[in-house]
Amino acid sequence: MHRRQPLLASAVLLIALPSFAQTTPSPARAHVTRLAADDFEGRQAGSAGERRAGDYIEAQLARVGARPLPGKNSRLLPFDFTAGSRDGGSAVTVTRSEPAGRAARASTFTGVKTVQALSFSDEATVSGDLVFAGYGIVVPESQNLGYDSYATLDVKDKVVVVLRYFPEDAEPQVRAAIARYSDLRYKAQAARQRGARALIVVTGPRSPNAGQTVPMTFDTALAGSGIPAASVDGAVGDALFAGAPKTLAAIQQELDSGNPHVAGFALVGSITLKTAVVRQTLTARNVVAYLPATTTPADKPWVIVGAHYDHLGRGDQGTSLAGKDEAGMIHHGADDNASGTAAVLAIAESLAKEPRTRNIVFALWSAEEIGLVGSSAFVNSPPIPLTQIAAYFNFDMVGRMQENKLIVQAAGTAATWPRILERANVVAGFDLAVQTDPYQPTDVATFNQAGVPSLSFSTGPHPDYHKPSDTADKIDYDDLDRFVAFAASIVDATSDASEAPQFVKVDQPASRAVTTTGLRLTTGTIPDYTSDVKGLLLGGVIGGGPAEQAGLMKGDVIIEIAGQSIANIYDYTFALELLKINQPVKVIYQRMGMRVETMLTPVARR
Amino acid sequence: MRRGLSLTALLFALIVTLAAQDDPTRKESDFLSRTRRLTVEGRRAGEGYWSPDGRRLVFQSEREAGNPFYQIYTLDLTTGDTSRISPGYGKTTCAFFRPGTSEILFSSTHHDPRSRQLQQEEIDFRASGRERRYSWDYDIEMDIYSFNQDTKAYTRLTTARGYDAEASYSPDGQWIAFSSMRDAYNRTLSAAEQKQLETDPSYFGEIYIMRADGSAPKRLTNVVGYDGGPFFSPDGSRIIWRRFDEAGLIANIWTMKLDGSDARQLTDFGSMSWAPYIHPSGRYVIFASNKLGFENFELFMVDIDGTKEPVRVTYADGFDGLPVPSPNGQQLAWTSTRAGGSQGQIFLAQWNHERALAAIAAAPPRRK
Repeated sequence: MHRRQPLLASAVLLIALPSFAQTTPSPARAHVTRLAADDFEGRQAGSAGERRAGDYIEAQLARVGARPLPGKNSRLLPFDFTAGSRDGGSAVTVTRSEPAGRAARASTFTGVKTVQALSFSDEATVSGDLVFAGYGIVVPESQNLGYDSYATLDVKDKVVVVLRYFPEDAEPQVRAAIARYSDLRYKAQAARQRGARALIVVTGPRSPNAGQTVPMTFDTALAGSGIPAASVDGAVGDALFAGAPKTLAAIQQELDSGNPHVAGFALVGSITLKTAVVRQTLTARNVVAYLPATTTPADKPWVIVGAHYDHLGRGDQGTSLAGKDEAGMIHHGADDNASGTAAVLAIAESLAKEPRTRNIVFALWSAEEIGLVGSSAFVNSPPIPLTQIAAYFNFDMVGRMQENKLIVQAAGTAATWPRILERANVVAGFDLAVQTDPYQPTDVATFNQAGVPSLSFSTGPHPDYHKPSDTADKIDYDDLDRFVAFAASIVDATSDASEAPQFVKVDQPASRAVTTTGLRLTTGTIPDYTSDVKGLLLGGVIGGGPAEQAGLMKGDVIIEIAGQSIANIYDYTFALELLKINQPVKVIYQRMGMRVETMLTPVARR
Repeated sequence: MRRGLSLTALLFALIVTLAAQDDPTRKESDFLSRTRRLTVEGRRAGEGYWSPDGRRLVFQSEREAGNPFYQIYTLDLTTGDTSRISPGYGKTTCAFFRPGTSEILFSSTHHDPRSRQLQQEEIDFRASGRERRYSWDYDIEMDIYSFNQDTKAYTRLTTARGYDAEASYSPDGQWIAFSSMRDAYNRTLSAAEQKQLETDPSYFGEIYIMRADGSAPKRLTNVVGYDGGPFFSPDGSRIIWRRFDEAGLIANIWTMKLDGSDARQLTDFGSMSWAPYIHPSGRYVIFASNKLGFENFELFMVDIDGTKEPVRVTYADGFDGLPVPSPNGQQLAWTSTRAGGSQGQIFLAQWNHERALAAIAAAPPRRK
């Protein structure tokens, strides 16, 4: 158990003598510098840059003697995924029945600014009578709220027209409850379950992005959701509501009170909707190899050490935070996640020289940034039985240590983790922020879902997160090297233990069910997940965003917004749904232990 | 040093005062760097005391299934290995390395035949979901033991009825200072005193000294209210402790000679100032006080004679207390809730002794 001692002893020296100058070159620096270089073009899943990065990683694993998994002849494990979707020429034809003796009038609309399929739409051409179903929201009965846009409607074999978003003027608590079910996927599901032939979405005149079609969001689903669904612009909306007793604005105003008794109604006329979605399927590659056990393997003979190596390319997907002046530039992803990739490679190199009582797998995932797709592909058709995996260790953004703080997530997934962490860290000396929650937006969630005891490590967010400026020169290599030694000792201790960690299922926080996809506004805050302080600690604010304009800055702890007390990130996400675009709200936060109030004005997000 | 502050020092004092007002978060890093959480396992941990060679800590922690009370563990700072040195059942607290030997003292109730029953009752109470305010129960069975790390033998050093705990060795390892509530049980109490005993036995806490083998116990304090937490000065000539007022709400830091004479009060915040420990240089004391809010304990430091206004050391919400400098004076271990929650864990930081000296020198005279 002590054979890592010399390596760790040097870490102790570093702590004792902060000015101690390291003379050996950083083993991780070369990897980060290479992976974040321009010619890998931001390593977007499925791109040429990602292929080159995968080749580099494959060569590094081969160099340290890591082998292809049993039954595989390559360290490169390809998988297909939907890289994006665009409208393929959707169209609507609205037919108005006219008084007897006059011919029915038909108007046809095309063009993505006029009619655009939703990203999860089925491809079909359907016709039917039109029914307006308000906001198209059904709150489950379990919520004891009684909000059902379909309560008085029969939509079977009809084409349902609904408003985007949710009633703006409802009581805050009602709004919050309704908002949870306003995601367009929920609305499509509700319409489909009631036998509707298709769903048409109109962004009402009183809503943000009024009268505009819904941009195709990134959706990695390989198939549609079982119903044709499209959004239309204000002109089509007017055509649909022609002949209705009130204007759409007046109808929306009634609905916006949140009164559950404001019913939908049949619209005059019928419609033919053609939805066409072009889904682009690409191939990306996980790079996976292992160092076999040097003795007869122990109980549950596999340990996986993983990190994603893909990033955002030039940021043309939704999660880039590049400013206008940085649009289209290479997102280098030095911290996210060349750092984690480098850590895995450095751990592989150091463990390659040691005896092992388990097989240690080194897995570099692709397509994490678009929804944990690479790790999910691995777990969904596992090359090694999931029940034989003793533990999964994940590294995501480990190169930008601030004030010696290291975040450990998913620590609740095995009772043995605190002891292992404490022992390794006594020597390594990080200020550990230990979080039990494995429901994180990183590959650790995939393995938790699969019942594998897991730990995920990060040094936390920073102002360059998801921007082109996340570059290799900003990585702290001394701390990254310290981290690699620490992580290697944990992998080693786990892999050498005679008994594998026992998986503990951590309860998912109830309010976690809130989706952020339904959020229609932004406050421009960057939450910091590093500690369990009461409130929402800000890791930064988006330049020029509402939070910055309100005077908020990194290190502030938001404890109340719009009268809602904030104890954690979930409360905050929940409270955001209560806010209105362009309507200032009071924010109370703590700065340096003092309570400060400010006004913040949320803005619409596209 | 104590009179005739130079102009430079006065200016420095002014700058420090202004800086403290302008930018309080910078202040903690003046004295503490590389702050980090040391203990991770278990519900809570605290009171980490250094071995004389600075390579280990002995601390109390609640970290084993089946016992909801503290047990005593040593932690090897070079390997990360921990081992429990207390029996594993009963309640324990307040350990201390005996210099020059392989012995460690701590207080324990494990001789109480009800020990396991009390553990189960506490587990059941917690499972019931009820809550109580934090309280230390001053178990009358609490007695001081020494543990020999070579022979693994326990030696019981006190047998008096009443809580005996908060013990520490003199630098030469020949003496033990401790706090005891035995006075409540070895004489006839008045009706008022009897009522006091039932509501708050700590009222009877006094400082005692005895030989390391438990012989020749001698009482050093004679003032009503809880006297506790005694430690020897680095040169072994004095004892530092905290003295509560009669009501048990206000406490201050005091020092005295080993015979109880020459008692001097070092602090006067009018709040709960306690858990003092003298820096190995002998120049100043680090302690905890809730001066800034009843549940917000922060670390402060004050010169060894208490002539200056104490200087604030920590700036974190919740509890920061039980500070213990390392034997070389370059690190500080303390107990804190800064990682969140209400249960403490042990933290460790580099200690900037030179800046501490400068800040104390620059501090204004103590307010009267």
